[in-house]
Amino acid sequence: MIQFESVSLGYGDKVVVSDINIAVPEGKTMVILGDSGSGKSTLLKGVLGILQPMSGRITVDGDSVGDLDEEALLLYRQRIGMVFQEGALFDSLTVGENVGFWLWEHTDWPDDRIEERVRTLLRFVKLEDVIDKRPEALSGGMKRRVAIARAMAPQDPQVMLYDEPTTGLDPFTSRSICDLIRQVQAEFRVMSLVVTHDLHDAFRVGDLFSFIHDSKVILTGDRKTIEESKDPFIRTFLST
Amino acid sequence: MKLFLEKMADIVETVGDFALMVFKSFRYMVTHFRTGDTLIQMDRIGVGSIPIVFLASIFAGLDMALQFEVVMAPYGARALLGKVVTTSIIRDMGPVLASLVMLARVTAGISSELGMMNATQQIDALRVMGVDPLDRLVAPRIFAGIVMMPILSISGDFLALLAGMGISTAIGHVPAPLFWSGVRDALTAQNLTNAFLKPVFFGFILTAIGCFYGIRSSGGAYGVGRSVTKAVVAAAIWILVANFLLSKLLINVWGLS
Repeated sequence: MIQFESVSLGYGDKVVVSDINIAVPEGKTMVILGDSGSGKSTLLKGVLGILQPMSGRITVDGDSVGDLDEEALLLYRQRIGMVFQEGALFDSLTVGENVGFWLWEHTDWPDDRIEERVRTLLRFVKLEDVIDKRPEALSGGMKRRVAIARAMAPQDPQVMLYDEPTTGLDPFTSRSICDLIRQVQAEFRVMSLVVTHDLHDAFRVGDLFSFIHDSKVILTGDRKTIEESKDPFIRTFLST
Repeated sequence: MKLFLEKMADIVETVGDFALMVFKSFRYMVTHFRTGDTLIQMDRIGVGSIPIVFLASIFAGLDMALQFEVVMAPYGARALLGKVVTTSIIRDMGPVLASLVMLARVTAGISSELGMMNATQQIDALRVMGVDPLDRLVAPRIFAGIVMMPILSISGDFLALLAGMGISTAIGHVPAPLFWSGVRDALTAQNLTNAFLKPVFFGFILTAIGCFYGIRSSGGAYGVGRSVTKAVVAAAIWILVANFLLSKLLINVWGLS
């Protein structure tokens, strides 16, 4: 379980989100919704340990992220798959090298076994034919797919984090990325945290939803809870 | 007063961060040396800089021999041209010139590359995948700078001396054997220590400062541009400061010979 217990996060002295209390149960996908700059992505940085909580604590399967030292943090991050907003693929490496990067770094597998795993992952995201291409040759949607394949390279990622996975994509590509997120969820039973401002995509991928407004969580629940909410901010969000 | 104290705190923090980056990078060079990445960087930093360093060295050698010939000829001291040109080049001119020429290519290149990686979250992606950017990105670059800079600088010195001999023979009418005899006289332990030691430090400065500003860059394209400018200015100043300090240190160690 991913759990935020009265967590405040920020940069320097500036608090971005405060007193956050949310929990993602095993095998579920929680979507964090909110307007731009509300601190949604900051929550992901907290889970990754890139930002330390100013107060409160974040635990993943019982490990308090803030208490991990540098070495433990590197090991902890190996259990997490992260899909960045624009993919964040390494532009000096080919698609295959990007997907196999984790395996080259953290396993002593022979090259042919790594290549087999890379091809399996690329087949899963339907991009095996671009294995030798560089990221700059890919479209936005293809980059996100490769990023998802890369995030799944560790044999059993326990947690998948998605930062605005459909931003800037056309509706058809967005839908295919959402389907892929659902497919990852169904096949690997990981806990997922998805950050987005797109309500349609949120309903496509999420089991639970959490709204952030004015640096606080104003509502957490399933789709029905969200749709029945009387909160003016959520009503406005739903109506757009 | 408050502003001054804040500025001082900033400087102390920056120096501390730089020292920590360097310490960790050297630790990675010992505990987790990345042969493949280091060879790639040695090729990019060293082999890629050969044309520009060699060209600059040749023209520096031509110019120095020409200038010294003009100054020394009235005193009938042309026979000393080889010794004077060699001493100037291998003690100071060669290492400093090679470093300043490489500054634009290496320091600016490294800081912009790492800055863009930061802006596009590639460095965050490395951390998330359990890889320390200092291990993967910084240590190989610093190692490559420390190894390749002396090789480039000493090769450049040799070309500068050949060019100097050409000018001395053609314009100053100094016989080539006489020039080379002066060169041999100038190849003292002190001069050779200068020729080898200075580029080692300069290679470190060029790469470490480029990495430091690149990896700390923030704010998109504007931030990357600002980091590159800061890196180039800082590296240029530190090369000149280090050159003076090393000259003074080596004179103290070896005496005034």
